[in-house]
Amino acid sequence: MELSVQTKNIVEDAHPEAGFQAMRAAGFSCADFSLNQYLLNLDIYQERLNGFFSQSMEELEAFFRPQKRAAEAAGVRIHQMHMPYPIYVPQASERVNRYLWEEVAPKSLRVAKFFGCHNIVVHGFKLREYLGSEEAEWAQTEAFLDAMAPLAVECGVTMCIENLYGGLGGHLVEGPCCDAHKAAERIDRMNEKYGAEVLGFCFDSGHANLVGLDFEMFLEALGPRLKVLHLHDNDGLHDLHQIPYTFAKTRENRASTDWDGLLRGLRAIHFAGTLNFETAPVLTAFPDALKMDALQMLAKIGRYWAAEIEKDAMG
Amino acid sequence: MDFVCAPAGIVDARWPKQGMKDMQAAGFSAVMLDASLGHPARLLEKGKPEPGMKAFLAAAKDSGCCLPLAMAPRLLPETKREDLAGRIEALAKETLADCAAAGCRKLVLHPMLAGIARGALWDENRAYFLRLAEAARAQGIQLLLTNDVRSVNGHYVRGLLASGRAMRDMVDALNEAAGAGTFGCCLDMHAAGACGQDLYDFIHEVGPRLQAVLLTDTDGDGRKQLLPYTLAERGQSEADWLGVIRGLRAIGFDGLLVLALRDTAAACPPLLRPALLAFAKKTGEYLAWQIGMEREIAKYPQRVLFGAGRMCRNYLLNYGKAYPPLFTCDNNPATWGTEVDGLPVKPPEALRELPEDCAIFICNIYYRDIEAQLREMGLRNPVAYFNDECPPRVVLEKMEKRG
Repeated sequence: MELSVQTKNIVEDAHPEAGFQAMRAAGFSCADFSLNQYLLNLDIYQERLNGFFSQSMEELEAFFRPQKRAAEAAGVRIHQMHMPYPIYVPQASERVNRYLWEEVAPKSLRVAKFFGCHNIVVHGFKLREYLGSEEAEWAQTEAFLDAMAPLAVECGVTMCIENLYGGLGGHLVEGPCCDAHKAAERIDRMNEKYGAEVLGFCFDSGHANLVGLDFEMFLEALGPRLKVLHLHDNDGLHDLHQIPYTFAKTRENRASTDWDGLLRGLRAIHFAGTLNFETAPVLTAFPDALKMDALQMLAKIGRYWAAEIEKDAMG
Repeated sequence: MDFVCAPAGIVDARWPKQGMKDMQAAGFSAVMLDASLGHPARLLEKGKPEPGMKAFLAAAKDSGCCLPLAMAPRLLPETKREDLAGRIEALAKETLADCAAAGCRKLVLHPMLAGIARGALWDENRAYFLRLAEAARAQGIQLLLTNDVRSVNGHYVRGLLASGRAMRDMVDALNEAAGAGTFGCCLDMHAAGACGQDLYDFIHEVGPRLQAVLLTDTDGDGRKQLLPYTLAERGQSEADWLGVIRGLRAIGFDGLLVLALRDTAAACPPLLRPALLAFAKKTGEYLAWQIGMEREIAKYPQRVLFGAGRMCRNYLLNYGKAYPPLFTCDNNPATWGTEVDGLPVKPPEALRELPEDCAIFICNIYYRDIEAQLREMGLRNPVAYFNDECPPRVVLEKMEKRG
């Protein structure tokens, strides 16, 4: 089982070699390439499009070539990446949404292909408030996925939908793709339609913790549709993307996130993919002098988990 | 839809008369027989003496208070006692007997989680519920299962019957074994809110099995049970009122609405509590009005609208086909002779031509001013308020353009 970590806050465009070498040195052989940092969600919501994805594919490939070479030189494989999000904003102008659908999404798939990356995480649309139900919301997401599917097949990329949260005041609540049974049915239906694995799932442990999902049940319902992971921890109230085992809520000081449930779930479905940590904030939370230690700590947790999952799988 | 007040935070099981009086004075004629008042989880946990329900039942009887719904005692989600399953079952049976004596026809039960292996939870709970079914049927009492949470070292996550799918499957399996209608479901917004659940989805899944809803505000921590709309941040309530109203409206809910405001009421000084409870009653009535919106529209053989703005468009989007209005009218002369999504806009004077049983639905936030205007015009038609705070769908112009 391989270990992976998000490139954000580790790999810098100016000198990507150092970041990928650091990842490798810490114990990661895979990376979750943070494509979303080239068009930030806050900018999308505010209709501030920076033009990055207006570049031609040749220009984008030229831009990303140093990162690709640096990863290869370090022995790090780009296992998954994150498409910029949101990919549809109900209140935004037609210009913005057209740009997201027609430029950002297809070029993200092509960038994934350029990196030899087979999984890209895609956010479902957040439209429940307007359309009234999760089913109606999904219909819009599916229309988008349908539009991208032929290109995904061409690029050999699986689009992975992720369990998300929404907000009611300060309360983070269930968002798109929080029902594993529905997700499984939709993934199967879509893959059958295209005769290829165009759709898969990204289980986000932090988001699941925020909305009290039962990790084990969720993973069991997903089964082999689970392609990638976003592993990180929080206090159950805020999306903090911190190191697992960081939070406790009682005097006994035991972890308040159900990591045992995660391991049981992954074991039950014989997960043999990559354990990926989506923990960019860890790198800014610790002082520079401790960054490598923090990264190594993440890798150590990953190795412990891999052993726990594989040990039981073997017998 | 009947309305019930949950007594937690208002009534003390040892001295229940004042709390009972306060609820009645506020206009609550029905109260929940909450057996946790007499058998609180914290006392069960520590094995300390419990006050019991005698005084509560006597006070309810003396005051003439109706007890349409009961709730059996349960343990804290974070309980460390794995030896109390027998005690909880005995208390459920005791509550069932209290229900029978008090004329209460519905009893809410929580699943039992403590001390049961994960893989055995479904079967053990099914067996537990079925053990209560025979006595319940004999007394004509329906058992309502409720959604729950379990604790992961103090963090609440979804329990055995938290999803609408699991609830539906359990209720159906039990009814198949015990006879149709023996079991139903009660949605607890407190438990669902702790896990940020999509309540529309839950309600949609359980459909007609849903017999009661505990209305309350709570946050992601799940410890609070507050008066609806009082837990807010950034100007927005933290509970999924949109989902619950949409869901209940969609299934034509006609069960019990239970207003649960334990922590708000307990924290409120006793001298202010009557005013709080009166406001709580109003809040409950507002929720009932929102939930019953479609029923209100359907009540009249014909209808017209008053208002030619967004609210009118949302009426047409959501109810225009099923309950088409004859026309809409507006006080703004510039709109007369125009159309809103195909509906003609006329001056208010056109309302004088209406048959008397045609209702006028005001689609404008100046409800009271417009109602007064209609009365001053001498119109005798029924006047009702339409509101688009929680419509099934919302007019979203940009999405419409995209098609």
